[in-house]
Amino acid sequence: MLINTGIPTKEQVLSVFPPAERLEKGPVAVIECFQRIPCNPCQTACRRGAIKPFEDISDLPVIDGDKCNGCGLCVSMCPGLAIMVVDMSYSKDKALVKLPYEFAPLPKEGDTVTALDREGKPVCDAEVIKVLNTAAMDKTPVVSLAVDKEFIYGVRHFGSAGVPPAPYNEVSSQPDDISIICRCNDIDIKQLHDLIAQGFTSIDEIKRISRLGMGPCQGRNCVPLVLAELSCAMGKNVSEISPGTYRPVTRSVSLAAIAAYSESKETLNE
Amino acid sequence: MIHTGVLIIGAGPAGLCAAITAGGAGADTLVLERSHEPGGQLVKQTHMFFGSEKQHAAARGFDISAILLNKISKLENVRIITNAAVLGAYDDGVWTADIGGRYEKIRPETVVVSTGASEKNLPFPGNDLPGIYGAGAVQTLMNQYGVKPAERVVMLGAGNIGLIVSYQLIQAGVKVLAVVEGSPRIGGYLVHAAKLRRMGVPILTAHSVKAAHGESGLESVTVWGLDQNWQGIPGTERAFKADTLCVSVGLSPLTELLWQAGAKMAFVPALGGYVPYRDDNLRTSINNVFAAGDSGGVEEASSAMVEGSLAGLGAAEQLGLNIPNIEDKKQELLRQLEALRQGDAAERLRDGRAATRLHIKGGCKKC
Repeated sequence: MLINTGIPTKEQVLSVFPPAERLEKGPVAVIECFQRIPCNPCQTACRRGAIKPFEDISDLPVIDGDKCNGCGLCVSMCPGLAIMVVDMSYSKDKALVKLPYEFAPLPKEGDTVTALDREGKPVCDAEVIKVLNTAAMDKTPVVSLAVDKEFIYGVRHFGSAGVPPAPYNEVSSQPDDISIICRCNDIDIKQLHDLIAQGFTSIDEIKRISRLGMGPCQGRNCVPLVLAELSCAMGKNVSEISPGTYRPVTRSVSLAAIAAYSESKETLNE
Repeated sequence: MIHTGVLIIGAGPAGLCAAITAGGAGADTLVLERSHEPGGQLVKQTHMFFGSEKQHAAARGFDISAILLNKISKLENVRIITNAAVLGAYDDGVWTADIGGRYEKIRPETVVVSTGASEKNLPFPGNDLPGIYGAGAVQTLMNQYGVKPAERVVMLGAGNIGLIVSYQLIQAGVKVLAVVEGSPRIGGYLVHAAKLRRMGVPILTAHSVKAAHGESGLESVTVWGLDQNWQGIPGTERAFKADTLCVSVGLSPLTELLWQAGAKMAFVPALGGYVPYRDDNLRTSINNVFAAGDSGGVEEASSAMVEGSLAGLGAAEQLGLNIPNIEDKKQELLRQLEALRQGDAAERLRDGRAATRLHIKGGCKKC
C-alpha cells in the first residue's frame, strides 16, 4: 500500500493514465496525486482549464484528456513533483516522457541516462531529448526522455539506482551506551527511572532533585520525554501530569545585563 | 520601558503575517526575533509550498519570506528587531527581553505569541553521540548556512520534515540510506514519500532505531522492526554505516511564554503537546495575548501564515483601531484555515482544534 511504502500500486498508476486512444493522440499530463491534501497549484496553473475545477482545495486533480495538450506548465508547478507528461506520438517506437528534475548537474540533450521506476529500480536506457529550465519554472526543470513505448507505465525518474537497504541481522556491535534524557545536565533514562521509583513523580520534583530541565534548553528537549516516561510509569495520561512551572527567564541572560537595567530605575517609574 | 501597541514575538511565517495585518491596520507594531535574521523556518525551506495562491502555494519558502518582508518594509509603523529574545511574561502585563545583549522591559497593549516549535527528541542508547541531529538543524546547516552536513544519513521519521529534509540532503549530494518510521503508516505527504522512493531510498515503516554506535562520533545505526505495541522485535535488526542520524519525530509548540502569561493550556498530542485554548480571533484565555502558528499547535507553514494574519487583525482591533471590513477579512481568513485543515492527513488535527476552541464572553484574567 502507498501509505505504508510510498510507492503507488500498479492499479493506482494505471487509474491516472488516460486510455490508450488518448495516449496515441499526443502529449498529455499524468498526475500521480492519490492523497487528499490542501493543494491546488496544478488546477490554477492550467490555462486550458484541463484540470476540473476543485470544489474543495483538497480535491484530487482530474484531467480532461480532450482539453489537455500536454504543455507541461503544471509539471514544474506541482509542489509534490507528482506530474509528468507522456507523449506516445513522439515517434514510431519511442514515447517522450517529460519529468520534473531538481538535481544538479542537469543532464545534457543527447545524453543517455538510466530511467528508473517508482521504486528507484532501473527500467531501461533513455535518451535525453530536451532540458527545459526557464525562470518561470522556478528551479524545477523538466527533462524529456525518449523511451521505448512499452516502458511508459514504468518510467518515473532517472539517475543512478539506489542502494537496497542493509540485510537483516548484520549488526555491527551490541549497544552498551545509555539513553540520555537531559543533555544539559547529563541525566540518563536509568537515573530518571530510579528517581520515579523513589517517588519523584512530577516534573517539578524531578527538576529540584536532579536539575533536569534547568539547563540552557530550559526543558525544551527533556520535558516531553520525561512526561512520556512518567505517563508510562504511572499509567496516567500525559494530560493528567503537570508539565511543571514555567518561570522567566526563557533563556540564559547575564546578571550584568539585568543589573544594568535596574540602575536606570528612574526611567522605569516614569 | 518600551511601549508598543502590538508586540509580536517571533518573526516566522505567523509573526510576519501578523505584522502585516496589524501594521496594515495602523497599529504601532514591534516584532522581536531571537535569530539574527527574520523569516523563521521559511528562510531554509527550499521546497515549493502546498496550499493555494493565497498562501503563496508553489513558491519556495525563502521566496515567501522575502515577499512578506517586502510588504513589511512598506509599513512605517512596524519595526522588526533581530537578536532579540523575549525572556518573560509577568503578571503586571510587563514582558522582558534580551535585545542585543541589553535587558529591556516592554509594556505592550496586545501581544501575538508566534514563537514556533522545537524539535522533539527520542531516548535510545547512544543518543548523545556527535552526528545525531534534529532534522531541522541539519536543514539549517545545509540550506541556511551552506554547509554539507553529512555524507551518509539515516533519517528517523517519515513526517513531512523527515521526507523533505531527506530529499534536500540528496539534492546537496548526501547519501540517504533509509528513512525509518515507527508508525506502520507514512505520516508526511505521500507525494514527498514517492519522490524518495523513486530515487531508491527505502522507507522502513514500523521500524525504529535500536541504538546508535561510535567512538568519538556516530559510526553506525542499528534499526529494528516494531510490533503492534511499538516494541522492538529481536532478530529484525539491521545496521547502517552512517555518519549522521537525523531525528525527525515531531515538534513541540514553544509555549513557555504562554504558560508564564497564565494562558489556559491543554495537552493535545495531535497538535504536538501542550497548546493554548484560543477563540476564533486566536486570542488565548488572557485577554490581550494571542497565539498564532506552531506555538498554538503544530501545523504547516501555510496555516501559520493565515493564523498570523488573523491574530494580527485581532490584536490591532483590540487597540480600538477602525479597521474597514474587519469581519469580512476575518471570515475570509477563517475560511482559508478551514480549507487548509481539510484532507486525509488532517483528521486528528481538526479534532485537536475543536477540543481547544475557547468561547470567551467578556471577562478575563487580566481585567
